[in-house]
Amino acid sequence: MNARTLFIPLTLFVVIAFLIGPFLIIVAASFSAGETLAFPPQGFSLRWIAKVFTVESFRASFGMSLFLAIGGTAAALIMGIPASYALSRYKLPGAEVIRTVVSAPIIVPGIIVGLALLRYIVVPFGVGISLALFLAHTALVLPYAVRVVSASLDNLRSDIEEAAVLLGSSRLGAFFRVVLPNIRGGILSAFILGFVTSFNQVPVSLFLSGPGVRTLPIDMIAYMEIVFDPSVAALSSLLAFLSIGIVFAAERFLGFSRYV
Amino acid sequence: MARADISLQGLAWILGSSPRMTAQLDTGEDPTMFQNRAEALALALPAAIFAAAVFLVPVLILLSDGFRTPVGGGWSLSAYTEFFSSPLNQTVFLRTLRLGAIVTVVSAVIGYAAAFAIVSLEPSTKGKITGLVVLPLMISPVARTYAWIVILGRTGIVNQAFQAIGISDAPLRILFSETAIFIGLLQLFLPLMIISLISALENMPRDAIPAARVLGANWFQVFWKVVLPLTREGLVIGGTLVFTGSLTAYITPAILGGSKVLMLETLMYQQVSVSGNFVSASVIAFILIVMSFAANILLKRLATARNRRAPGRSASA
Repeated sequence: MNARTLFIPLTLFVVIAFLIGPFLIIVAASFSAGETLAFPPQGFSLRWIAKVFTVESFRASFGMSLFLAIGGTAAALIMGIPASYALSRYKLPGAEVIRTVVSAPIIVPGIIVGLALLRYIVVPFGVGISLALFLAHTALVLPYAVRVVSASLDNLRSDIEEAAVLLGSSRLGAFFRVVLPNIRGGILSAFILGFVTSFNQVPVSLFLSGPGVRTLPIDMIAYMEIVFDPSVAALSSLLAFLSIGIVFAAERFLGFSRYV
Repeated sequence: MARADISLQGLAWILGSSPRMTAQLDTGEDPTMFQNRAEALALALPAAIFAAAVFLVPVLILLSDGFRTPVGGGWSLSAYTEFFSSPLNQTVFLRTLRLGAIVTVVSAVIGYAAAFAIVSLEPSTKGKITGLVVLPLMISPVARTYAWIVILGRTGIVNQAFQAIGISDAPLRILFSETAIFIGLLQLFLPLMIISLISALENMPRDAIPAARVLGANWFQVFWKVVLPLTREGLVIGGTLVFTGSLTAYITPAILGGSKVLMLETLMYQQVSVSGNFVSASVIAFILIVMSFAANILLKRLATARNRRAPGRSASA
């Protein structure tokens, strides 16, 4: 009994220190007053947090990542919601094939998707880099969109739509007035999951980033290879708190984990 | 419990083992409003065509590149024999496999200990601790990997501590080594293993362990003969996620391995961006995909093989 009561807290302490500790160190290092990245931090200042906002390339790539995360996820949902509806409600010929095709981008490593797009879409068709990144991020988010929306559609009884149609609503009206309000939580959860996935994505964008067009994580990697100051730590902490905040709020107000 | 269950289903979905997350509530006959096939196709096809055009077709063409003869339009395996004849490529291939395997085994061992500890907690504490375990998954992998530079670097915490205690005089070179990649990957993927195992342990019959103890089993036997067979599904899902995740990780080997200690993904990037060798990149892509699928199948096999030796487990299903 004694060994057991010691075992549990000790194990938890070690595991959580291993999982969370590095992140806390990054947060501490970003408040350093020193010139180089170090722990324990030398003094306390907000200069590196402030510097993040003045680096031109960070601002540009943050804008790009934001555009990809919002636009790509929205596009994935616009295609994914009807597809989920068809897969969930109809007896569809080849439903499994469609499901597999739509969810395939999750299974194949991102770097391969990026390279394939570069070689067989971007180069032969002369597609611009921003558009290629947008297509890639949309494809990447599509499996999540279909999965989360399907899950919430499967949990919604289809007889309420039938009732609406029997009572004289049009099919489209029944979808927008009955189905959509009921799967709102699922759609928002899909959006948040897609946003976070797209925003943190590196391998897919690796080959698709050109001069001046970069996503934020790729810009951070490029920056840390050249400069060894705490600004990447500061930026990492800011982004981490941002995404933790978003997910926490989503869990609080939507019951996010019910859908994911 | 519900939380862990759902994520496990989601993980299973990702691995393709259960295509449908939840059974449809409506079990009656299909109403006529859902029988129009043309309508269904019109709804589903835009997404399918998009995924096929942007993802499936380009990836398939890329994979077929590796099977082409260097000149003319024939098919051959020469790119593969050439790839594996290079000592560098062999080293990278074996390193990727080795790191994947070690990270998976170590995360399973730590994962069981952590999952046991978490499952035995009070419900309210359990939720909070599970939240802490899941928290890193929401932080950018770049940020999580970057932290290890501060910890493992020449003037990092580990070297400061080692020199202070007197283990070493000069700073050890931990960064840009296999050890650094191992630590980074373990930290990245351990949460996936832990949540898979928490869910599996919670679905285990509550009295299975006390029953085995009463019948005289020691803790080792309890684990090997009761817990392992009853939680094998969670272990297989967690193991596949960790193994394929480690094989196909890019950020960790890129930041913690540098340009010297390559894994398959960083090698692929180098082949394309430094030497413009697209055939070799295609070979690596094919190897990565085959290894991911093989790992999934192999782990499932292992699980069922154990299952046959322990006939009592079907009660858990």
